Amino acid sequence: MTQSRYPGRLTGGSVNRISRREMLRRMGIGVGGLSMASLLGACSIPPQIVRETEANAGLITNESNGTLNFANWPLYIDRAKGENPTINDFTDETGIQVNYDEVIQDNESFLGTIREPLANGDPIDYDLIVVTDWMLAKMARFGFLEELDFSHIPNFEEHAGEVYKDPNYDPNNTHSIPWQAGITGIAYNAALTGRELTGMGDLFDPEFAGKIGMFKEMRDTMSLMMLYNGVELDNATIEDAEEVQEQLIQQVDDGIVRQYYGNEYADALARQDIVASIAWSGDVIQLTLDNPDLKFIVPEDGGILWVDNMSIPQNAVNPIDAHEFMNFVYQPDIAAQIVGWVNYICPVPEAKEILADTEGYEAIADSPLVFPTPEMESNLHRYTVLDDEEEAAWNELFGAVIQG
Amino acid sequence: MREARRRRIAYLLLVPGVLFLTVFFLIPMFTMLSTSFMEGTPEQGFDFTAHWQNYVDSFADYDTQIYRSLIYGLIVTVVTLALSFPLAYWIAFRGGRRKNLYLLLLLLPFFTPFVIRTLAWKQILADNGIFLGTLKDWGLIGDDFQLLATPIAVLGGLIYNFLPFMALPLYVALERLDPRLLDAASDLYSDRRQTFFKVTLPLAMPGIFAGSLLTFIPAVGDFINSELLGSVRTTMIGQVIQRHFLTTLDFPAGAALSFLLMAGILVGVFLYARALGTEELTG
Repeated sequence: MTQSRYPGRLTGGSVNRISRREMLRRMGIGVGGLSMASLLGACSIPPQIVRETEANAGLITNESNGTLNFANWPLYIDRAKGENPTINDFTDETGIQVNYDEVIQDNESFLGTIREPLANGDPIDYDLIVVTDWMLAKMARFGFLEELDFSHIPNFEEHAGEVYKDPNYDPNNTHSIPWQAGITGIAYNAALTGRELTGMGDLFDPEFAGKIGMFKEMRDTMSLMMLYNGVELDNATIEDAEEVQEQLIQQVDDGIVRQYYGNEYADALARQDIVASIAWSGDVIQLTLDNPDLKFIVPEDGGILWVDNMSIPQNAVNPIDAHEFMNFVYQPDIAAQIVGWVNYICPVPEAKEILADTEGYEAIADSPLVFPTPEMESNLHRYTVLDDEEEAAWNELFGAVIQG
Repeated sequence: MREARRRRIAYLLLVPGVLFLTVFFLIPMFTMLSTSFMEGTPEQGFDFTAHWQNYVDSFADYDTQIYRSLIYGLIVTVVTLALSFPLAYWIAFRGGRRKNLYLLLLLLPFFTPFVIRTLAWKQILADNGIFLGTLKDWGLIGDDFQLLATPIAVLGGLIYNFLPFMALPLYVALERLDPRLLDAASDLYSDRRQTFFKVTLPLAMPGIFAGSLLTFIPAVGDFINSELLGSVRTTMIGQVIQRHFLTTLDFPAGAALSFLLMAGILVGVFLYARALGTEELTG
């Protein structure tokens, strides 16, 4: 653009300058002939929805191929001596070789890496992936996931806890079954608060001004606040979200919130920079072992049960092997082996007894953070299932809070 | 004949650079520019509709963060300059044979990655950490005093992280300064203050300018320091852009904000260059 605005400089200068421009033109970089607008307009970012026919074509094979490519999150399966016992047991029993890849760091960026091929209807490098419930709902809506064939997964019907069947984010478990789950609630340092905390209201107490942590994860913070306001999450409206936004902005203005945290909230709690925070159950088990003053509660007005799910990307190369793995991990002893190491919530209740009888694992079997009590379970809710427009609107409201 | 051949070689040498810039700078810039005029949702895809309102809307939503980032960048540039000048001056003129050692010491912390260094500050500045905890034990500051999650911590992190980008160009400029010019100035009855303002400072100008650009531009766009050391009230525009691209997937607004930021920086740099005068900057 500057080239045309200062023609004198270019033509009036040395021979070199003219030649340089000449060269640029030959290389096709000079855009003089084409209007800027028409070039700009030539681009677009393709939609993420796959055409129905392609998405619903069914599994590409009904046979096991002897290979499984499994994408999971770091530290999310049992480990011993640098190996994964569950994976080894699976290979021993079925002969299926597993390429286990801990590539998923967070839901959004993982979707970013697989979005292009899936939108084009191409298979990705993985036959089995683990994503959180709301991301799963989104991917199913985009047509990115295969429908499961439960004739290959009899263990799910037999051993899965009732809470994990027919969830709101994936009716009838059409596309997914849980891998592990967790609770979003409140963690606090009883030695520093000097009293028991019971619910979200405590995170607004001026007594703790500047010492409260909130979550940058939009769904967690918004949902806990809506439960606090007495909103049924399944019927949450944009007005409910606006009400929460006002409360949260007020909370920041009053100097009560120290920061909106990602994973770092756990360090902040451990360092005593904050006395209470929204928290994930799985992290707190580790923290409470280090510091018995740290407590985790499900807020009295309700907490969130979130679920990370196994599902099969559309047109996966080894879908039957993926089904076999899903079936395999729903055996109670295998489920116990996994949860005994990862300490999240196990979707197989029978694993509790197995762990209780295993030396060294009694504490985990007893922990309500791994096997929630029925009272806790009755007070746990699911995220609102949001469509794209609602999600954008909630994100905008929440963005104004955390990026004041 | 030889002239033509030499010229051809010169162009050949340019090819890798031009190709690199085309692929990794021009094309992405162009894609971003195009994206900033698109409309749509992640689900339906984004289409180019010359939707210039993206610029108006995102500026209205995030003008606070843009101004805040520019102001932080300005503060960081001024403070790093004030800190670096004596440092660079001392190394250049008093460093003697150990000059290289001092330069190495200046750079040593930067052998550790950016994020790790900033995380380390989080430990050091913790409310009851080694620094504040000790001061609190001595009763020098109140129990509620905190540095983390305040603008002070964010600015401190930025200043710390960008100090070498200012100090090194300054050092190079001062190192090149011929000491005989200073002798000449004093021979001509100039006092130290006059010598500094009439000889040293003007000759250091290219270094000051280069250092300021290297500090100001990345500092304004930085999102790590505020993310790790700051709070909601220190949000910088880099964090907003990052959230648009990675969390909310609102690419057009993110792209528009990037170009608004770039425009803000260009205006700042232009005014700065004008104020200093281009003659002096090229040495």
